[in-house]
Amino acid sequence: MAISQKFLFSILMLISLIFIIGIYLLDVPAVFKLVLAVLALAFDLLAFSTKLYMSFFIPFLKAKNRTVTLEADEAFNMAPSGNAIVVRRGGSVYASAFITIPTYRSATEMNNEEKIDFARLFSRALTISKSSVKFATQLYVINKDAYISNIRGRLDEAEEKYQNASMNPQMKKADSERTRGEATMWHNLYDNVNKVGSQALEAFAMVSAEGGTEEEAINLVLQRADEIASGVSSVFGVSAAVVEGEDLLRFVEPDHMIPPITVGEQLREKNMAAEM
Amino acid sequence: MIYLGSTCLLAIVIMASSAEFGSLWIIAFFLSILAIMLIFILNYADFVVFPLFTSLLGVKIVPAKNYYMPKDSSSIVKNVGGIYYATGYLTANVYNYVFAAESVDEDEAAKLSEGPDKWERIVMNAGFPFRFSFVSVAEDVQRYRDELEGKRGVLEFQLSKEMSSSTPSELTIQDLQRKMNVIDARINRLSAGERPVDSIMYVESTAVGVSEKEAIDSLSNQLAHLQTLFSAFDLSITRVVGRELYHLFTYNYVVPTRDALADTFSAER
Repeated sequence: MAISQKFLFSILMLISLIFIIGIYLLDVPAVFKLVLAVLALAFDLLAFSTKLYMSFFIPFLKAKNRTVTLEADEAFNMAPSGNAIVVRRGGSVYASAFITIPTYRSATEMNNEEKIDFARLFSRALTISKSSVKFATQLYVINKDAYISNIRGRLDEAEEKYQNASMNPQMKKADSERTRGEATMWHNLYDNVNKVGSQALEAFAMVSAEGGTEEEAINLVLQRADEIASGVSSVFGVSAAVVEGEDLLRFVEPDHMIPPITVGEQLREKNMAAEM
Repeated sequence: MIYLGSTCLLAIVIMASSAEFGSLWIIAFFLSILAIMLIFILNYADFVVFPLFTSLLGVKIVPAKNYYMPKDSSSIVKNVGGIYYATGYLTANVYNYVFAAESVDEDEAAKLSEGPDKWERIVMNAGFPFRFSFVSVAEDVQRYRDELEGKRGVLEFQLSKEMSSSTPSELTIQDLQRKMNVIDARINRLSAGERPVDSIMYVESTAVGVSEKEAIDSLSNQLAHLQTLFSAFDLSITRVVGRELYHLFTYNYVVPTRDALADTFSAER
């Protein structure tokens, strides 16, 4: 059962108060009273710290090997419908949904009036919902994992073909040259694909809802997300939509914001350049 | 105020009971002063206390499975297949931002029209992943309207007092009228259906590396670069560490309610 912050604060204050009453009422040596004062002050400090550090309090007492585990489970779970994430904290269930806001206009193609109008629209969009909303814009690395894997596969195939051709004495020279050319082509493509980091900018809104059960939280959040999507669409004149499937992970997981294979290849290039 | 007041009061009671400790009164007095100081430090500078505490004790915090905050509590790290992802945050509250409807001088309009250009310049010059987030939490419309009308009443009273004085100051009158215009514009916007919002804005960036140190160093460089880029907006930009870092991390998964936001980010007043 989760302990509320106010309850813990009251208990610690009460303990502190008991020690202080002990200082006045107990007929004991001064040293013992000083010990009571130290304990009272320690509990007083602990009571105040619950205001800021409640989330850390109990996990800190349960810490093992200097590791304080605030949450042992995954940060979130994907909803079965694939259009929301579910987070369990204490006894509560929360669901969050994401809405993409595809705005393609650049400031360079706006005059001053249009820029001010855009700022007005932005301020209007911020107030479209009664519930808390997070609006965000992110610059992320485009996922080239599948593309890189494909090129690497083709490169391996071409190199194998070339190796077989060069070991085969019956192979014509022209054919051997052609397989070598093919391998070189895939090699060049593989080397070049990582030289430029491809990034994209996208805006999105995020909304959450708490529910008694997972289904209730998901239904509530999707209802709110639809409200926000239609509000944003009418304000900006774009087609905002609730994000579904794997695209959603880009907003919550760093390894989807910066895909591992893509960035791994970039790191490899960087290290090779540093070695040279 | 309740937390700060009640905890300090207990320390003061101990301080006042010095006579109970005989010759040891000075120690009790000193410890009480120390406790009050610590309470104030925690209240106003917990961003110093938290990282100091975790660094000295060598404590690693795990906010969720596969994530951890290194002992300096300045970033959140995830290891995926040997690649380390370090995420850090900067505050970026647009304090000086005034919307066009409220603006009464041309400078503010100029600032407003420069916003989109400045933003695009930041995006062009960043060259690494980052996210600018704006958490808006709706306020109670009626309470906000009452507050505005109260403020307007006070300004009206001040204006009439100034105008009826024997030597009215033109500058003061203009200033009061300007403030009334701003409040009127806000009331009009409420009448037009807009809702007042509380907000918090922050920038998040993620860096990668083949070791934890490389990722964290790279993150520090990225955040320093973002600080330079966002300075164009005339913002107060500070790196978020410790307790608040954990809370911002959780906002990636659940948007906070108004109360949660107030509990996390406001010091006891």
